Amino acid sequence: MKTTNIYITLTLMLVFISCSKDDDSVPLLDVISNQITNLHAPQNGGSGNGPPTPISGEFTKFDFSAGSVTISDNDWDIGFRGTSIIVNGGVSLGTTDEPSRTGDGAAYIANGTFTSVTQVNPSLFVQDSSNGYAIPAGSGGGWYTYSGPPTYLITPTPGKILVFRTADGKYAKVEILSYYKDSPPTPDYRFSQGRYYTFNYIYQPNEGVTDF
Amino acid sequence: MSSTNYHIRISSTLFLITIILSSFLCSAQILNDSISTKSLDEVIVTGTKTKRQLSSLPLPAKLISKNEIEEINSSRLRDVLDQQTGIIIVPDFGGGEGIQIQGLDSEYILILIDGLPLIGRQSGTLDLNRIAIANIEQIEVINGSSSSLYGSEALGGVVNIISSEIKDSLSLDIDYKLASYNTNDMNLSTGLITKDGQKFNIFFNYYSSDGYDLDKSDNLNTIDPYNNYTGFIKYSFSKNNFSFFSSARIFDEKQSFRINENLFGDNNTLEWNSNSKIGLKISDNFNLESDIYFTSYNTEEDISSVDIEEAENYFDQFLIKSEVRGIVDLGIRNKLILGIGYIDESLSRNDFFKNNITQSSVNLFTQFEGFASNNTNYIIGARYDNYSNYKSQISPRIAFRTKIFKDVFLKSSIGKGFKAPDFRQLYFNFTNSTLGYSVVGHNVVVDVISELTQSNQIANLIVSLDQFNQKLSPENSLSINLGLNYNPSNQLKFEINLFRNDIDDLIDYRVIANKINGQNVFSYFNLNKVYTQGIESTFNFRPNEKLNFIIGYQFLEAKDKDVKSSINNGEVYARKSSNSPSFILEPENYFGLYNRSKHTFNFKIFFDAKNDLKLNFRSKYRSKYGLFDSNGNDFLDTYDEFVKSYFDLDIAASKKINKSLIINIGIDNLLDYTDPANISNLPGRIIYGKFNLKL
Repeated sequence: MKTTNIYITLTLMLVFISCSKDDDSVPLLDVISNQITNLHAPQNGGSGNGPPTPISGEFTKFDFSAGSVTISDNDWDIGFRGTSIIVNGGVSLGTTDEPSRTGDGAAYIANGTFTSVTQVNPSLFVQDSSNGYAIPAGSGGGWYTYSGPPTYLITPTPGKILVFRTADGKYAKVEILSYYKDSPPTPDYRFSQGRYYTFNYIYQPNEGVTDF
Repeated sequence: MSSTNYHIRISSTLFLITIILSSFLCSAQILNDSISTKSLDEVIVTGTKTKRQLSSLPLPAKLISKNEIEEINSSRLRDVLDQQTGIIIVPDFGGGEGIQIQGLDSEYILILIDGLPLIGRQSGTLDLNRIAIANIEQIEVINGSSSSLYGSEALGGVVNIISSEIKDSLSLDIDYKLASYNTNDMNLSTGLITKDGQKFNIFFNYYSSDGYDLDKSDNLNTIDPYNNYTGFIKYSFSKNNFSFFSSARIFDEKQSFRINENLFGDNNTLEWNSNSKIGLKISDNFNLESDIYFTSYNTEEDISSVDIEEAENYFDQFLIKSEVRGIVDLGIRNKLILGIGYIDESLSRNDFFKNNITQSSVNLFTQFEGFASNNTNYIIGARYDNYSNYKSQISPRIAFRTKIFKDVFLKSSIGKGFKAPDFRQLYFNFTNSTLGYSVVGHNVVVDVISELTQSNQIANLIVSLDQFNQKLSPENSLSINLGLNYNPSNQLKFEINLFRNDIDDLIDYRVIANKINGQNVFSYFNLNKVYTQGIESTFNFRPNEKLNFIIGYQFLEAKDKDVKSSINNGEVYARKSSNSPSFILEPENYFGLYNRSKHTFNFKIFFDAKNDLKLNFRSKYRSKYGLFDSNGNDFLDTYDEFVKSYFDLDIAASKKINKSLIINIGIDNLLDYTDPANISNLPGRIIYGKFNLKL
C-alpha cells in the first residue's frame, strides 16, 4: 500500500510538472519501458532431429501498446516463431501458418546499446516480403549468433537493437537478452530450453515522436 | 585415371634422369664420402635440405634428440612435441591432435618424415598420434615460414622426423610399454649392415588403448578404444659417388565408436608412403639428389543406428612428389642449392561436388648459404610454385646470423609463407542433415546454387555469383624472427627469439544465401587478416654432467586486425554474460584468436643418479584460453567463458639393469588434472612401466 501511494504521488508530480511547462499542448504520454520474460515461441519442423522439414506453427504475437502477447488477427505488432521474428507489415514470406499482415509495421536493426539508440531513423524501415523478413533470418545477419559445435547455442548478437514501427505507426526498440527459458547466464544446449524470449523494450506511444 | 598415369610418368622421368646421369658420371669419380664428416656439433637437415651444423644455422630451429625421446618414454609424436617450448598440442573436434607453433594452427605446419610430407588432413589438422617414434633418430623443428624451401603449408613452421639408421652390423631392439587405460605399446626394430655397406632397417609398432572417459554422466567415451600398427622398412646403400635410399611405411588404425545412444560406427584408416632417393656426387663440389615419393591416405567410416546404415564417410587422398636438387659447394662453406619439383595430388571424399579432385603443381627453388666471415653467415632463398587452380606463389626468404659480443650471436630471418586453399574450401558440397545449413566450396558455388535454386530451396541470394569468378587466393604471410643466442660454455645456453607473423587473405566462410528452411548457405572467401607475435625463450643450464635444467617460456599475442580496428573505432559490442544488455567493448578487453594462451611455460630436470639410474621431472603450464565465443559477438573478449589455466606434471625413472636391459617407470599427469568439457585430449593420471631390450 505504501509503495502504491508513492507511485501515485510521483505520477501526480510528473503530470503536474509536465503540465506546468506547456499548458497549451496535449500532454505527451510517457514512454513505456518494460521487460518481457519467457515469451514462448514454439515452432514445428525446421531443424531438429532428423532431416529438416518445412517450418510451421503459429507465431506468438506481441502487442506493444498492450505490453503483452495477443492472439488477435489484426491488433499485433511483432511475432515470434523459433528464431524468426516478423512484423505486422508488408507481405508474408509464404511459410506455413504465417499470419497475413494487416498493419503498417516495419523494422530495422540498429547498431548500438539499448540506451545509445535514442532516435528512430524512419528511412531505414523495411517490411516483411516474399523474399525475406525485415529482421533477417539466420545467424550473424539478424538478431542472433549461432555458435555451432561444440556449444550449439543461439545467443543474441551484442549491439543489435531492433527498432520497430508498430502496426499503427508508432515506434518501439527492443533488445533481446536471451533465447532460453529463465534466461540462464550460461545456457547449455543439453539442458536449457530454447525458444523462450526475454527482451527489454521501450515503446513510444505518442504518434509521430521519433525519440525514446 | 589416364591423367594420373601421365603424372606418374613425369615424376618417374625426373627420377630416371638422375639415375641415368648417375650411372653415366659416377664411374669416373674417386671414392670420397664427405657427408660423414665428423663433427661433435649437432646436425640438422630441415633448414637447408642438406646436412649442416645446427649451431650456426641462422633460422630459429630446435632439435629433439633420440636421448630425450627415450628418457621421457614417449610413444607418439604428440608426447615429445608436447614438452617443447613454443609448441602447443591442440585437440581437434575429430578426436585427433594437432600442433600450434608461433600461434599458427596445425594447418600451417608442415610435418615431414625424412623430408617428405605426410598427408591426410581431413579437417586441416594432421593427427600427431599417427606417428610412432621408437625408430626416430631426431626431430627437427624450424619455426616461422619455410615456404621458400617447402612451399605450401610451411607457413608457420616445419617439423621433420628423421628415422634412425642402424649403427651396428646386426641389431635387435625390442620394447614394450604398458600404461593406464590398458594402453599397450610394442616396438621392434631390427637391422643389418652387409659387408658391402648395404643397410636394412625394419621397424614394427603395435599400439592399442581402451581409450578413456572423462565425463561419467553419459555412457559415451571421450576416446573410444582403438588399435593401430605401423610398419617401416628402409634400405640404403652407397658406393663411390653414388648413394641410394628407399623406404616404405604403412600405418593402419581401427576404432569402433559410439556417437550417442542410437548411433555407432567403425573407423578404419590406412596410410602408406614410399620414398626413394638417389644421391650422386658429380664432382668434388657438385652433388645431385633426386627423390620420388608416393603416399596415400584412406579413411572409411561407417555409421549405423540399431538397424540401419546411416552414413558412410570416406576420404581417399593420394600424392606423388618428385624433386631434383643440385647442390654446389662454392668455397669452403658456401653452398648453393637449386631444385625443381613436381607434385600431383588427388582426393575423393564424401560431400564433395566432384567425385575426384586432382591438382598438379610445378615448383622451382634456390637457396644460397654464405659465410661472410667466421662469425657472420646468411641464407638467401626463394621458391616459385605454379598452380593450375589458383594464383601462383613466390616465396623469398633471407636470414643471417652474426656475432655481436663475445658468445652472443644475433639471428634474424624474414620470409614469405603461404598455404594453398584446401580442397574442402574449393569443392565442398555439404548439407547438415540435422540443422539444414549448407557449406559450399568456392569453385562450385555457381553450380550448387543453380541446383538449389532449381529445387526451390533458395529464398534469396546475399552475395552476387559474379564474385565467384575470381579464384580464391592462397593464404599468405610475412614471417619475421629476431633472436639472440648466448652460449658462453657447455654449461649454459640461453636463447631468445622474437617473432611476428602477418597473415593476409585468411580463408573463412560467410553466408552467401538464405534457404527457405530458415538456414543459410555458406561459402569460403579470402576474408581475414591476422597477426601473431610473441617471444620464445629457452634457458638451459648444466651445472655438471649429471644434471640438466631446462626452462622455456613463450609469450603470445594473436589477433584479428579487422576486429581490432573495429573495436578501436567503438563499433563492437559485448555482453557480460549471454543474458545481459550489450555495451561497447573497450580495446583492452579483446582477447584475441581462439585457442591461444598468452603464456606457456615449461620446466624440466634430467638427473643421472648413481648406478645407471636416471630420473626426470617435467612440468608444463598453459595460461587461460578461449575455445568459443559465448556472448554472441563472434570473437573472444574477456567477458567470454575461458578454459582455465593448468599445470601438467610428469615424472619418470629409468634403470639400466645390464648391457641390454633397461627398465622404465613413470607417471604422466601426476596431478590428475582433467577438464572434460574443454580439454578432451588430457586423460587423467597415467602410470606406466616399460622395458627395453637391446641385442
